[in-house]
Amino acid sequence: MPNQPLAKAALLMLVIVVVAVTSWEIHLRNQGFDTTYYDDPALWAHKRKMVYEPSDKATVFSGSSRIKFDTDIDTWESVTGEHAIQLACVGSTPLPVLDNLANDEKFKGKLIVDVVEGLFFSIHGADDRPVRNIKYYKEETPAQWASFHINHLLESQLVFLDKEWNSLGAKLDELPLKDRPGVQNFKGFPSDFGRVKFSRQEFMTDKMAADTSISNKVIAIWQMFGRANTTPPITGKPLDSLFAAIKTSVDKIKARGGKVIFVRPPSSGGYRAAERKFFPREAYWDKLLAATSIEGIHYEDYPVLAKLTCPEESHLKQSDAKVFTSELIKILKEKGWFNTSATK
Amino acid sequence: MVFNSYTFVVFFIIILILHNLPFSWKTKKINLLIASYIFYAAWNPPFILLLWMSTVIDFFVGRALYTQTNVRKKRLLLVISLIGNLGMLCFFKYGTFLLDNFVTVVNAIGWNFHPAKPSIILPAGISFYTFTTLCYTIDMYHKKSEPVKKLLDFSLFVTFFPHLVAGPIVRPPQLVPQFETERKATKKMMLEGLFLISVGLFMKVVLADSMLSATANDVFGNPGKLPALDAWMGVLAFSGQIFFDFSGYSTCAVGAAMCLGFWLPQNFLYPYAATGFSDFWKRWHITLSAWLRDYLYIPLGGNRKGKVRTYINLMLTMLLGGLWHGANWTFVVWGGLHGFYLWVEKAIADLRHDKVAAIAATPAGEVGVLGPVPEMLKPKIFRNFLIAMATFFLINVTWVFFRATNFHDAWSVLTAMFGFTKGGEAMLTTLAIYKVIIIVTGMVIVSWIMRDKKVLEVIYKLPWWLVGLFWTIIVLLIIWSQESSSSFIYFQF
Repeated sequence: MPNQPLAKAALLMLVIVVVAVTSWEIHLRNQGFDTTYYDDPALWAHKRKMVYEPSDKATVFSGSSRIKFDTDIDTWESVTGEHAIQLACVGSTPLPVLDNLANDEKFKGKLIVDVVEGLFFSIHGADDRPVRNIKYYKEETPAQWASFHINHLLESQLVFLDKEWNSLGAKLDELPLKDRPGVQNFKGFPSDFGRVKFSRQEFMTDKMAADTSISNKVIAIWQMFGRANTTPPITGKPLDSLFAAIKTSVDKIKARGGKVIFVRPPSSGGYRAAERKFFPREAYWDKLLAATSIEGIHYEDYPVLAKLTCPEESHLKQSDAKVFTSELIKILKEKGWFNTSATK
Repeated sequence: MVFNSYTFVVFFIIILILHNLPFSWKTKKINLLIASYIFYAAWNPPFILLLWMSTVIDFFVGRALYTQTNVRKKRLLLVISLIGNLGMLCFFKYGTFLLDNFVTVVNAIGWNFHPAKPSIILPAGISFYTFTTLCYTIDMYHKKSEPVKKLLDFSLFVTFFPHLVAGPIVRPPQLVPQFETERKATKKMMLEGLFLISVGLFMKVVLADSMLSATANDVFGNPGKLPALDAWMGVLAFSGQIFFDFSGYSTCAVGAAMCLGFWLPQNFLYPYAATGFSDFWKRWHITLSAWLRDYLYIPLGGNRKGKVRTYINLMLTMLLGGLWHGANWTFVVWGGLHGFYLWVEKAIADLRHDKVAAIAATPAGEVGVLGPVPEMLKPKIFRNFLIAMATFFLINVTWVFFRATNFHDAWSVLTAMFGFTKGGEAMLTTLAIYKVIIIVTGMVIVSWIMRDKKVLEVIYKLPWWLVGLFWTIIVLLIIWSQESSSSFIYFQF
């Protein structure tokens, strides 16, 4: 039988693949890994479709990684009874998302915009992820929609489906190879940093929060980002134009009965010092609020929030994210955020 | 729908089950047709109307062309078919390009004309199914084959999902007879089909997407100056990416068809082992080069109207072949460079009074070349390997125009490649460079070893456990790479 060898080969392949994948799954679970979700455009588009929920039932979050780490969605939803829709994208400016929502006539809800000065007050932001996500959302095909739902089913059960940290590419990135002088290699975040829930909330593991050697690795990466970014902060006319564009977007949302508020989550140590140096509060944050006539919540103005420290200087650990979220809810309540009547 | 997606896995399992249930052959064909429409509609449902229109028009026009004896009426019918097919292609694929060029020309002569930018979405695979239907009506005009009797068979020929969106471009005699009698994959065909799908997915998911695409994107998307090493790595990465992407798709297509009991023509034969450019076109996108030969080069006169016309026809074919790939002058230059290479090759062959036939059969026995294969390129292995490397080097130069979005970018990469850029800043990591060197070297070596062989013949010459281990490794790497369902490069063409 000419096909017998291939049948045997297929059987051998099946047996080894099943054994290898099962062993890998068990190994990762024993290592303490839990299920995580790949934060790709499909997951973002899934959340983007939810922004049309009634404004008394949901709040949309936009920004960069800080609001993703610092907002504990379970806390938010259990305390407020409202749905939290996370649209923030790591390493990027929230302005494309703000613009997208502002120009969507159907969006009339509440929007919290996270301000991380180095990303927010830049022309393009560091990463084009929001633009790619919006493009995907607009062009998503039925096949992509179906693949996303099948993928979700698998990702929610299998720990080894973890593209960010346990895929072939991620493991190759961990190889200790020396780069040529001048090459900026932004890989190398530890796998305990940046686990993702289906809600798109991101969190660092408790192991990382407790182990300063892991946190220091991340701090070193922030410092490398800082050295790589040689563009001076925007000032003068470009900054005024940026404020004008933000105001236009915010006014469009407000005109439809929606609400917008800016939030400045905590940062610590050297990172905060650099932010103070390059983006002094009075020249950026205060001006932003004045130029857009929008309220803001700066963590330094609230004693409970001001006490929070970030293990790797930029994001809160899980337990502190709960504190931050509870406190944020209290402040927002005082500001009438959850009142059903719209603020115009 | 793309082969490298969970949606396709579920879709294909359902199709395989339906195809193996005890339904009548007609019911199975209807199932396949509906499945093919779902496969296409999963992209953008409204565009299915274009597919229907193209199918219905060409079925009836093709039949009328075959039976019509009045020459004028026959020509009119052919014109209707050409306008229908090429008109649709021109509007969707070249509409914006033509308008942009028109505006550039009229502005240059002083007419201040600035129309609104049209927003035209390119239907997936339109270039492929247009060529599929076009060759049918042209064949009917020349009475090269019998008209397809049933609309169901013709619809399935046009729409059969494995080849629908990115080829192989099939001819009616290759596929239509297969619909006439019941077909079901034997156990051998099924296993071979699944093996080919695994190999195709490995090429696409692991090698093209996971290993090479980021480097190619980084280099071609870099707005600054590049050192020669980075530029070469970017071009070599793209060279590997486009081969693994497209060849991977074609391998999946052939494998998927085999699982259902059908044969599709081979589209790639280790093109990077080509010893010369006519040899390259016998090995790269074989069904397109055969189509261009039969429906463009030969009707233009081929090599029958003297040497000068042969050279002109060759260049025209390559320029239009370039334009087929995309509505951008960079693609035309890509085709033009290939035309130039073929000119030089032909000139050398002419000088050596080489009498090798211009149309030569491939090992697959079904396609030919656009020019002669010089005798000097025959046995001598070491010399041929050096010629293959020289061919590969020159083909890499053409890929710069294929990948760059404009001439400025292409020029930046080219000048960097040949050391004319000063002050370039290194950007690629050591890992990225290692990936490109290892994969591209492996690709060239495997191509050379396999250049006259077929995978499905080789696996039966190896011990079963070795094939099993190879199969295991590629499947594990597909699973481990966890690449999301990115589109295939050739879908945009």
